[in-house]
Amino acid sequence: MAVILKAKREVVGQNVLKVDGLPLATGQPKFTLDMDLPGALVGKILYSPYAHAEIVSIDTSEAEKVPGVACILHYGNVPRVPYTTAGQGWPEPSPYDTVLFDKKVRYVGDRVAAVAAETEEAALEALRKIKVEYKVLPAVFTVEEALAPGAPIIHDEEDAEGIYDAKRNIAAAVDVPIGNIEKGFAESDVVVEATCELPYSQHAAMEPHCVIAYFDEDGRLVIRSSTQVPFHIRRVVSRVLGIPIHRIRVVKPRIGGGFGSKQEIILEPVAAALALRTGRPVKMALSREEVFVSTRTIHPAKVRVKLGAKKDGTLHAIELEAILNTGAYGAHGGTTLYNVGSKALPLYNKARNLRFHGKAVYTNLPVAGAYRGYGANQGFFGLEIAMDMLAEKLGMDPIELRLRNHIRTGETSPIFEKLGEGREGKPQVIRSCALEECLRIGAERIGWYEKRRNPRRKGPWAYGVGLACAMQGSGITGVDMAAATLIMNEDGSFRLLVGATDLGTGSDTVLAQIAAEVLGVPVEKISVYSSDTDFTPFDKGAYASSTTYVSGNAVLKAAEEVKRQILEVASEILEEPAEGLILAGGKVVSERTGREVSLSEVGHRAFYVANQRQIAATASFACPESPPPFAAFFAEVAVDTETGIVRVEKFVVVADCGQPIHPKLAEGQLEGAVVQGIGHALYEEMLFSERGSTVNSTFFDYRIPTVLDVPEIEAILVPSDEPTGPFGAKSIAEVGIDGPVPAISNAIYHAVGVRLTRAPFTPERILAALRTKDKERKG
Amino acid sequence: MRLRGVLRFHWARDVDEALSLLRAYEGKGAILAGGVDLARSARTDIEGLIDITGTGLSYVREDPKGLRIGATTTLSELLFHPLSREYAGGVIAETLRLVAYPALRNVATIGGATVSAHPWADIPTMLVALGAEARWRNEEKEEKASVEELYKTQFRGIFREAILLELVLPHWDGVFVFEKIGRNAGDIALLNVCAGLGLREGKIAWARVAVGARPERGERLPWLEEMLLGKEPDENLWKKAEEEVKERIKVGSDRRASGEWRREVAGVLVRRTLARAAGKAVK
Amino acid sequence: MKIYFELNGRPQYVEVEPGESLLSLLRRLGMKSVKEGCGTGECGVCTVLLDGKPIRSCITFAPKVQGKRVTTLEGLGTLEDPHPLQRAFVEAGAVQCGFCTPGMILTAYALLQENPAPAPYEVREYLVGNLCRCTGYKKIVDAVLLAAKWKREGRWR
Ligand SMILES: Cc1cc2nc3c(=O)[nH]c(=O)nc-3n(C[C@H](O)[C@H](O)[C@H](O)COP(=O)(O)OP(=O)(O)OC[C@H]3O[C@@H](n4cnc5c(N)ncnc54)[C@H](O)[C@@H]3O)c2cc1C
Ligand code: FES
Ligand code: FES
Repeated sequence: MAVILKAKREVVGQNVLKVDGLPLATGQPKFTLDMDLPGALVGKILYSPYAHAEIVSIDTSEAEKVPGVACILHYGNVPRVPYTTAGQGWPEPSPYDTVLFDKKVRYVGDRVAAVAAETEEAALEALRKIKVEYKVLPAVFTVEEALAPGAPIIHDEEDAEGIYDAKRNIAAAVDVPIGNIEKGFAESDVVVEATCELPYSQHAAMEPHCVIAYFDEDGRLVIRSSTQVPFHIRRVVSRVLGIPIHRIRVVKPRIGGGFGSKQEIILEPVAAALALRTGRPVKMALSREEVFVSTRTIHPAKVRVKLGAKKDGTLHAIELEAILNTGAYGAHGGTTLYNVGSKALPLYNKARNLRFHGKAVYTNLPVAGAYRGYGANQGFFGLEIAMDMLAEKLGMDPIELRLRNHIRTGETSPIFEKLGEGREGKPQVIRSCALEECLRIGAERIGWYEKRRNPRRKGPWAYGVGLACAMQGSGITGVDMAAATLIMNEDGSFRLLVGATDLGTGSDTVLAQIAAEVLGVPVEKISVYSSDTDFTPFDKGAYASSTTYVSGNAVLKAAEEVKRQILEVASEILEEPAEGLILAGGKVVSERTGREVSLSEVGHRAFYVANQRQIAATASFACPESPPPFAAFFAEVAVDTETGIVRVEKFVVVADCGQPIHPKLAEGQLEGAVVQGIGHALYEEMLFSERGSTVNSTFFDYRIPTVLDVPEIEAILVPSDEPTGPFGAKSIAEVGIDGPVPAISNAIYHAVGVRLTRAPFTPERILAALRTKDKERKG
Repeated sequence: MRLRGVLRFHWARDVDEALSLLRAYEGKGAILAGGVDLARSARTDIEGLIDITGTGLSYVREDPKGLRIGATTTLSELLFHPLSREYAGGVIAETLRLVAYPALRNVATIGGATVSAHPWADIPTMLVALGAEARWRNEEKEEKASVEELYKTQFRGIFREAILLELVLPHWDGVFVFEKIGRNAGDIALLNVCAGLGLREGKIAWARVAVGARPERGERLPWLEEMLLGKEPDENLWKKAEEEVKERIKVGSDRRASGEWRREVAGVLVRRTLARAAGKAVK
Repeated sequence: MKIYFELNGRPQYVEVEPGESLLSLLRRLGMKSVKEGCGTGECGVCTVLLDGKPIRSCITFAPKVQGKRVTTLEGLGTLEDPHPLQRAFVEAGAVQCGFCTPGMILTAYALLQENPAPAPYEVREYLVGNLCRCTGYKKIVDAVLLAAKWKREGRWR
């Protein structure tokens, strides 16, 4: 557990310049594809045109004749090793239901074959010339169809492991009762129920998935990839291709955004296999359309929430049911499912009677995976709309209802123990929670009480305000481990080597700040390197809101140890015990005599003069608990009652992420997440043809928010002090996406009195709801 | 990133050269203006690209017939041209501001927009409402027709052998306005409306209303225009127009929006644009 | 075919394919700041300046730059001597993953040349075609306004 330094902080809490900011702003070639490898082949993938089919035969003879084609891979010529594309710690809780290439395809966009050729043109021509004979099978496109008796079985292969019930297309299932739910509802004075639906949507990171695989001069496989999980890639590629781990090196350069889409091991094994087969470097870059069609999506979900409360507003019973569509493969299906309950339910811990149950169901649609929020956004969508309904029924202010029920410092929830990462969790007590303050500040900033009382109306435009609360975690309890290596140079500067994968979030900067604070130097004295499996110690990767907390704690420990070593050398020079020495301002000062020695002197002595050694340390941190950040979201919307258009006018998000190490970066995480959430609320939905193919696979038709869609956003940090976090910090990256969808729905309800429970809230849906309401009123 | 199959690129010096090159390719050549549509296309049948942006067709002028806009004038050039700002109550700027984004408008041409005439596009709706005339030339002769008439023909065939030279927007004694609804900012239209009115002695002297992206290309609503003639412009009239549109307009569904929604909202947009145009015309 | 153009102030006489995109050409010439996010003109990460005006290099045929001036982010400033706009983006926290940044900065540069004192909504209208999935745009608009302020103060032209 981390030590809280009580000294005044010089670096932590400051908005230092992002360590990679200027290189990025000047366009340095830092991304995966910015490296030119002479002689690299171009890898391309042949995708299934059918949602469900058996491959009867593949004939590559014509394709091989295309000049420049070096290699074609398909199920007939690669080893069959079941694995999961989910980049998770070993053993992965996700089912092993994927192989490199299969005899069967399970969605439009499933991979059938891969080609490596001298040029893109040659590769594409070869793809066109691969003759595949398919036996088309009946397909299922909804969870209901997939669960119906007699439905086609999507995973009928013998060698899959870890599927909950393959015959019924259930990838994972959960049913956790606590107390007595039936009795709970019977004893409640008021009961409400909401069913909410989140459709298919995609991360839409600006950089499409890409990878370069090659063998270095020692014959070792190097994979340079835009990934959130370099160490998991190394492990999985090793297993799938039978290359020992020590013969593989995975390099993560800068990443053009991930949001979970790159916590998935999709292209790397294919590129590695092509490189292995040809002995040549292979470069693979997906087009935007390929990203849409073949990579990963959010878990579409139907979430039903039933709440029972006493007259005074105290929750007495909560039932949460989540049916997730995991698509054709089960990556992250079970873990996302568990998260719906484990993240949403503890927030209102006053209810004694709980039940969380649900399924992650296979369908013949694109594969769902990790997506920022990771189940929490699905859970809070349902829960926070139900809370709004409950408040209305009780005649209580929605803020008041939250205040009455939300978890506080020193409290716990039985859910922590019952629900973990696709399995049981660990008990946990909340050590920091400033949600009450978040709600108070947010209400003030949006003008809550005034606007709730007197909703505005201007011509056809009706205005309303709504709110939602949410919490997330900081890493995965009992699963996540991160390590950091800190090395001192003789001039008193440092190298910080971390496996943590900054994917644009600024974690390199945050980790450098933590080290700099302990070592009493400015951030510029610390060169951060992330990540390279050859040079940086293990880190689980960037997911589950873990980097600041888990990797940050590892850096803190390493820095403490390096500090100890520095003081040791300084004590030799100053000839007095280390206890009386202070490390600050780039030097070590004796408290007793005032004599000082610079870090450069310390470094030079340790390297060259006496009692020589390398001042360095590696430390690791395994996540003993996962302190949740909390957030309150307030949306003000305007609804055009004649067209159904919704404009978000103002959005206030107030979050408790413990002590923010870098407030500006933390705000940036909130702002980005909120805008992504606004996208989910208003625009984003992947659409499919009757045959199951993605039809809006371009930004022309899959709309994400533009700068003109963004309302006035206020992102406010309310610091708490998390005793287990590095310098009191908790996570911030995900929690911001959990609230916008329900907050906007609740605001629409306040504005026009219709409850939108199916996202996105398009003009079409809003107008239809308004017309239904008109009819009901008249009829 | 390339258009496959292209063997040659020509910078035509004048329209004659472009036309003779076009003929020489026997159907395998393509006229290239801004090129943003061609570059996005998946066509593989084009061997020669004939760039016409250097043929002297980039201009905006005014004469008694109206505003003359050369086909290769970019949308930005047109948007910021002083003549277009004054034209028909500023409708050109109002429309073009809502077309894509600046970097596209810097390249895309009015001619390209007229010829590609995407059904969801805004520019065709505006041109049809304004009664724009298109002038084009093939190797034999020069021809002209209103854009509205042109769109009723197999106009794409015409421009396989011809070059659009200019658009002539007639002078109007009155005001046009334009509105569009997209899914979000920067989107193409789910529905767009361009409406214009002229007032004489407090009565409507002429009216033109075109509705596009329904999801078919913008067309006028002659029955509505007739209904408006001679009436006093007031709220009741606009309400009536709305009802009429909801009753009679032809709309359809696509994946962007349903016909039902389009029907209702077309009525609303027509009412709003007419009211706004009348307000501006009075001023 | 060979074309002649000026790239970041330096003359280029290079071989291009007639159907090639400018994006492909520029990356071949080592201008790796020019990114590809969609290839179809819909995201803006490939934005470059053509005779000072922003265009989308992915949907511009390379031969079209014949005789013209092309500016990529490499031509604006360097790591050692960054342009004030580049500094402003870093200071304002407008760079998260940085993939949209080159296109954003070049577009903003063109805006500030046209309009040295843009109102916030003018900045937003100008940037509407440049998508960013990380930042939520707020700090990007802040950065442009900060750079504009510096420009008005005479810190750059
Ligand atoms: C991302 C994006 C967003 C868009 N958004 C909108 C929008 O919101 N609203 C809207 O209205 N439009 C929109 N458009 C359409 C846009 O206006 C047109 O694509 C553009 O104007 C085409 O112009 P261009 O000069 O680039 O055409 P080109 O690609 O050069 O040509 C298009 C076609 O027309 C032919 N052609 C061009 N000029 C001539 C000529 N003079 N004579 C004969 N044939 C010719 C070409 O051979 C080709 O077939 C959008 C387009 C894109 C790519
Ligand atoms: S890559 Fe050019 S606009 Fe997206
Ligand atoms: S910073 Fe990542 S897309 Fe803008």
